[in-house]
Amino acid sequence: MLITYNWLKQYIDLSDISKQQLADILTKAGHEVENFEDQAYGTNLVIGQVLSCIKHPNADSLHICQVDVGTDIRQIVCGAPNIAADQKVIVALPGCKLAGGEIKETVVRGESSKGMICSLSELNVDKKSLTDEQLAGIEVLDEDAIVGNTNVLEYLGLDDTVYEVSLTPNRADCLSFWALAKDLGAILNREVKLPDYRYSADKSKTDLIIDSQTEKAPYFVGTIINNLTIKESPAWLKKALNGVGVKAINNVVDISNYVMLETGQPLHFYDLAKIPAKEITVKNGLNEIYTALDGQKYHVLEDDLMITTENRAIGYAGIMGGEDSKIDENTRGIIIEAAHFNLVNVRNTSRRLGLFTEAATRFSKGIDPKAALTATERSIQLLIELADAENIEETVIFGDMGYKPTVIEASVTKINSLLGTHFKYDEIYQVFKALDFKPEKKDKDIIITHIPSYRTDIEIWQDLSEEVIRIAGYENIVSTLPKMPTTQARFAKNGKNRRMINAMLNGFGFNEVVTYSLVSQANIDEGILSVGTPVRIANAMGEDRRYYRTSLLPSLLDCVSYNVARNNHEYLLFETAQVYSDEGKERMHLSMAMSEKTTYSKWQNVIGKNDFYSLKGIVINILEKLGYDEKRVFFKPVSNPKELLHPNKSADVYLGKKLIGYIGHIHPLAKKKYEIDETVLAEINLDAVFSEKPSRIKFEKIARYPAVNYDLALVVEEKITAEQIISTIRKAGGSLLEVVEIFDVYRGKGISEGYKSVAVSISYRSNEKTLSENDIMPNHRQVLDQLSNRLNAVLRD
Amino acid sequence: MTHNWKQLEKEFIEKIESAKDLNSIENIRIELLGKKGQINSLMAQMRTVAKEKKKEYGMAVNSLKQLTESLIAEKTAGLKEAEILQQIQEDKIDITLPANRGKYGTLHPLTVVQQEIEDIFIGMGYAVVEGPEVELDLYNFERANIPADHPSRDMQDTFYVDVNRLLRTQTTAIQMRVLEEEHDILPIKVVCPGKVYRKDDDDATHSHQFVQVEGLVVGENITVGDLKGSLELLARSMFGSAREIRLRQSYFPFTEPSIEIDVTCHICGGVGCPTCKNTGWIEILGAGMVHPRVLDMAGIDSKKYTGFAFGVGIERVAMLKYGVDDIRHFYTNNIKFLDTFKRFE
Repeated sequence: MLITYNWLKQYIDLSDISKQQLADILTKAGHEVENFEDQAYGTNLVIGQVLSCIKHPNADSLHICQVDVGTDIRQIVCGAPNIAADQKVIVALPGCKLAGGEIKETVVRGESSKGMICSLSELNVDKKSLTDEQLAGIEVLDEDAIVGNTNVLEYLGLDDTVYEVSLTPNRADCLSFWALAKDLGAILNREVKLPDYRYSADKSKTDLIIDSQTEKAPYFVGTIINNLTIKESPAWLKKALNGVGVKAINNVVDISNYVMLETGQPLHFYDLAKIPAKEITVKNGLNEIYTALDGQKYHVLEDDLMITTENRAIGYAGIMGGEDSKIDENTRGIIIEAAHFNLVNVRNTSRRLGLFTEAATRFSKGIDPKAALTATERSIQLLIELADAENIEETVIFGDMGYKPTVIEASVTKINSLLGTHFKYDEIYQVFKALDFKPEKKDKDIIITHIPSYRTDIEIWQDLSEEVIRIAGYENIVSTLPKMPTTQARFAKNGKNRRMINAMLNGFGFNEVVTYSLVSQANIDEGILSVGTPVRIANAMGEDRRYYRTSLLPSLLDCVSYNVARNNHEYLLFETAQVYSDEGKERMHLSMAMSEKTTYSKWQNVIGKNDFYSLKGIVINILEKLGYDEKRVFFKPVSNPKELLHPNKSADVYLGKKLIGYIGHIHPLAKKKYEIDETVLAEINLDAVFSEKPSRIKFEKIARYPAVNYDLALVVEEKITAEQIISTIRKAGGSLLEVVEIFDVYRGKGISEGYKSVAVSISYRSNEKTLSENDIMPNHRQVLDQLSNRLNAVLRD
Repeated sequence: MTHNWKQLEKEFIEKIESAKDLNSIENIRIELLGKKGQINSLMAQMRTVAKEKKKEYGMAVNSLKQLTESLIAEKTAGLKEAEILQQIQEDKIDITLPANRGKYGTLHPLTVVQQEIEDIFIGMGYAVVEGPEVELDLYNFERANIPADHPSRDMQDTFYVDVNRLLRTQTTAIQMRVLEEEHDILPIKVVCPGKVYRKDDDDATHSHQFVQVEGLVVGENITVGDLKGSLELLARSMFGSAREIRLRQSYFPFTEPSIEIDVTCHICGGVGCPTCKNTGWIEILGAGMVHPRVLDMAGIDSKKYTGFAFGVGIERVAMLKYGVDDIRHFYTNNIKFLDTFKRFE
């Protein structure tokens, strides 16, 4: 909302309050001033008259002017295209400070220039308020401008300061300047003098008929004025409206806007001649095309509240009047409308049409129920004064304004105990008085308050406590800490585990990323550990962000792609985030992406080559740290192919019997699509992990007797897996078997095509004695037999 | 046969002393103690010594042998050490060459700030509680005293799934769940972090997804003073011990009174700079006393209990703390950006 310093100054003495101070005071009291600015800026300005104007001999676009500035006649070189002799103009004398800098006496192409003839934009006037003509050249003043006048900004009506105030939704009452002035008066504890709008006029009987066929328009105040004169508004009115960004049109339209600003009650004036039936009905249920007074055609829907006469729409209620009944230069009489319309209806319609008019804004936020009558009276008074209004008919009131007085009993004790303050009874009483809450002293603790009609935000005593501290000042509150029984702090569910995962992955060199949860259909389709049917956003911003993701890897790949495009070729990235399904499932996932290369030391050529096994190791390490022993973790061939993973270089990850995720090299086609380097990926369902019981830490005796080691080189078919070899040995090795480790896999010279040589180290150990060859042989023979029988393994010599 | 043992001993000592390196000492050892060495030849001469002098002779040779052995051993050890010391002189690396250093990863700045806030409140006995991002209208709005017609529920701002479900627009939704779940086990002291979503076009200062942390305390006799004190602690922990806070009137549907909290600018200390737009203050927190209707709806007697709540935007804090100029940096995750946040806080 825009309001000016001068506007408020009419009502309250602000003589000792600077423009900056006013901004601070309003902000502290909850009316946040986002910005304030002088309408125009310039010192040392004077009104001058161009006596002569000739072309500059050395420059086509310049003119040399002799200008009378009252005190002397001086030569000024001017570059504006519209400069001409006899014009009254704004002259910036040497020493003048403008937003663009200081004006100095100078020589322009050999001709002296003692000042500058100004345009309004050079005076820092908001360019939006200027016409193309004004933007293109100097400002040409009216002939009646007095040469030598140095109060140029006042003459221009641009000597005010405009405040942009951001009102909180509960204080929409301050969209009425009178209400804001009263609030400011309470804050400053000063008297507020609002205009006296009494008038004397004999009113005649009226035949105006007002009706409403919907409860969405419960109250309608209508008045016919039969005679008035359309003309230009007086300067003060134009200046006032201009200051708050409202365009002056003519006296009658300007009055409706001015009174709306004063009272917060939107008014509409209809041309009486265009409503010959003198009948107005508010209704909904229409379905037609209607031309509003902005000249645009709108499709009226059944829910829209419409003002009609003779069953014909003449206005969108509370939003905008119609083209065919609008005030123009031929208007001789009007009907004044001041009504209540349902705020939700107005809001929905104005939003649908994109018509955020001043009226719609006010209705959407709620208005003072009593303001309709006030606004009617104030506008009649101004119409008499400024538009020669005569032949005024009696006001017709339809319905009930719905105002119920709010009376609240406020306990001084309760207010102090909520605020943590020690205000005295009288201090609180004074606040209520300043706010015009008409306080009454009930007893030593209770003050009865009568809330004014415009303060619809005040409903309970807690609201009053807010008023007390707002007016008394928050600096009265002394800092304390809650005094209460001790509470036990705790991390979020699995919060500690998540922090551990973060710390470990950081240790492995991974950067944590945070990506958007909302993704496209394509992204959903690519997901590899989907939690289910995606949650679909009904009113998404676009198809790119239509669904809540069900899996994290596609987002992480987008992130990898973004980085590779920016030449970040070494990436270790992870994200932990929620995924949701439409069926209501919620899970926390972990996604990881690892580039093939990690440089540790360039000059020493220590370069890590990451592959499936690198990420597999990281997954196992994390699981072990969380309490899941490596023995419980299984990597199995992929059960069904994934779009993102290389089918032969990926695995399903199991914790016990539970599938917890997928891991593998990126599918070559996906790699191409995302335009990234060779990458290893994994996505883990952390909730599935956390739901498994962690293993306990158990002390084991340190072995006292030495182990006996055997190294075997086994030639097996390619299809035989390491897992098969190890488990065969484990099963056959008996209780003496301690460690089985694969230490080499070899293909090539000496090994037939389709076979590989796998070197295994086996150790046996007893807790009771040093083992001899004889002790081990039965077990070891069993191992060799089983390898041969089950896996067709042949010992390589 | 007679020997000047003293003379011999002196010769030997001089010889051993003269050894310059391990090679020469070894040669000396062979010369003196070797099979054909001087000591052995002296031993061999025993035959020629008169019987009554044999004992004396033997003792003299033996003593010379022992002395020689110990001197050579000593000299050898000395020379070995000298050689190592010599080698050390020659064995030199350029310690300024780069480290063989695996990169240490980083936490995302939003996580850094979130954890910092969580830890401050954990230190004061708060429990951290999270909640669903796909939330019911009930907890996001209704319970937060934002009825159906309230302007904050505009379709413009909220991502709806259907009539009942939406993406939560505020972590207040978590608080409303906590109030309901714990209404009969007061007091409540929680902080609720999480992602929230609003239908906003992404630009330098707006993001359709962002992170909030809200706090909630409900008990007997909780005051605005308690709120001020608690948030003063937060401000000082986050932005330095010299920070002051200022309370301003504000409005949230779920609190009454509602308060906006400014902190003195951590860049200029309050004298005015571009970060604080020359006001000396930075707007950082929304807060207030829990609205009695909110307590009542959750089944808590608002006549007996009061509470305060506050909320802070993590992106805003991170932008202020680290001087980040565009909110989108947090979501594009350029590794060069992420690598900035090496520090633990």
